[in-house]
Amino acid sequence: MQRRDFFKKAALIAGSAAVGSTAADADTTTHPVDNRKVANIAFPQKRPLITYSDRPPLLETPREVFATPITPNDLFFVRWHMPMIPTYINPHYFSIKIDGEVKKPVKISFDSLKRDFEPVEITSVLQCGGNSRSAFHPTPGGIQWGPGAMGCAKWKGVRLKDVLAKAGLKKNAGWIKFHGLEKPVYTKTDGFVRALELSKLHDKIIIAYEMNGEALPYLNGFPVRLILPGFYSDSWVKMLSNITVTGTKPKLHFMDHAYRVPDNDCECETPDNLAPKTKPIEEMNVNSLIGYPTGGTKVKQGADLIVRGVAFDGGHGITKVEISTDGGSSWQEATLDDGSQGPYAYRSFRYTLKPAQTGALTLMARATNTKGETQPFAQDVKWNRGGYKYNGIDEVTVEVVS
Amino acid sequence: MKKTTVLALTAAMLLTSLSAAEKKVEVQKGIKMPYMEFPMKQGKGMYSTKGKCNMCHSWGYVLNQGPQSKAFWRKKVIKMIDVFQAPIRNEDIDEVVEYLYANYGKRVKG
Ligand code: HEC
Repeated sequence: MQRRDFFKKAALIAGSAAVGSTAADADTTTHPVDNRKVANIAFPQKRPLITYSDRPPLLETPREVFATPITPNDLFFVRWHMPMIPTYINPHYFSIKIDGEVKKPVKISFDSLKRDFEPVEITSVLQCGGNSRSAFHPTPGGIQWGPGAMGCAKWKGVRLKDVLAKAGLKKNAGWIKFHGLEKPVYTKTDGFVRALELSKLHDKIIIAYEMNGEALPYLNGFPVRLILPGFYSDSWVKMLSNITVTGTKPKLHFMDHAYRVPDNDCECETPDNLAPKTKPIEEMNVNSLIGYPTGGTKVKQGADLIVRGVAFDGGHGITKVEISTDGGSSWQEATLDDGSQGPYAYRSFRYTLKPAQTGALTLMARATNTKGETQPFAQDVKWNRGGYKYNGIDEVTVEVVS
Repeated sequence: MKKTTVLALTAAMLLTSLSAAEKKVEVQKGIKMPYMEFPMKQGKGMYSTKGKCNMCHSWGYVLNQGPQSKAFWRKKVIKMIDVFQAPIRNEDIDEVVEYLYANYGKRVKG
């Protein structure tokens, strides 16, 4: 598709969210749908965002927000699975119940979480496993997100490990099940329940009650949610109300059927030849996004254009971000921030150029991490049925005017 | 809902310049979710589809998929039944699929 058509189409479909694949695109990957318009109505505690659904709320953050390394709470994306979400919670009566294979089942109140446990802080990216899913063709199952189903915040809370210690794990404990307050409307539909293997528990997994120095917004899981730095957000259970420890792996729809990729080296498959075995998506791959400029921006020939964006991975750390202005033939290194927010946070990048010629100019960004892993070109990202883990090299086309 | 009103009233009555107290009340009074219109295209089978597909989530879920093939829509409807236990009878599947394809069908190019 020509870039121009692309912009035109993006403008046409405003707000609502048509994506759709064209006929020629069986089993190919493109860039995710970009430049969707924000809705004309704001959700509680939020500014207007790209809105796919109000019930349950599905809100995507527009690209320009990713020009800075911390995503403000009121611009942070929102993704619930179930439509019945409490709209009123009194934190002073809220508690988390811990039961199952524990020595002593306990209820830990919100006030006790804040008072009786050591508070810890971590800056971490929260990214949906299906971020940018609209890049995959044929359309995989799930919400057809553009690139904004992610954000990065400073979370404050208590270690999950410390909270579990209050109940004491029995010897046979093997899995920890998490349940929040969201509920399906239809009682036969499985609730949104997630589980973590005990061997994957570590000190950086926290139950957070603050986000960027404020109480969590309702739509991001008030009053407490789970934070698993480095992992996709499928297990970051919101409005966390129940923790149940089990001996063996529990059978759960949202563990066994969703949020899985092919269990092979390329984590890929084709629609006609689905992989026989799958595994959980878990650790995030290396990724980056240009926050400024956005597609279609008019910039001045010969004037400084400062490209800004964010890069991240599953916690190994970003070593470089490169920019290309010639379709990926040559790459120049961008300047990274000092990395003081830690390896789980967005690393912001900046690159200054002076566009020499008028007309369309395409900017690309590619991140590399400490393991030497880097991003493939969009068209080289391999398909999987759930449309997970897209990390194609981002591109934005601007118009240089004289 | 009641609780929200009561708290809001209390907040109004206690109105002082204590910003910490105000903040606390603000957190506790809950939220009000907006209603958003995700209009369905008029067409044969719309009312029946509306009843079946808008029960568990908004119509926005369907719009978000973009135009798709008939096979795609059939698979999606069956997924709703098999995976999420949507109460749709076998004999009603065709009508829903036809409506979805007629109104949100992928125009096949070349
Ligand atoms: C019994 C409840 C229920 C009914 C009825 C239902 N759905 Fe769903 N649907 C769900 C759930 C649960 C999800 C997954 C929600 C999530 O992950 O956000 C879903 C997701 C979807 C999605 C997102 C894509 C995907 O693959 O998950 C589409 C599209 C969809 N439904 C279409 C429909 C259509 C069309 C109908 C009418 C035939 C329908 N639904 C009826 C429960 C239902």
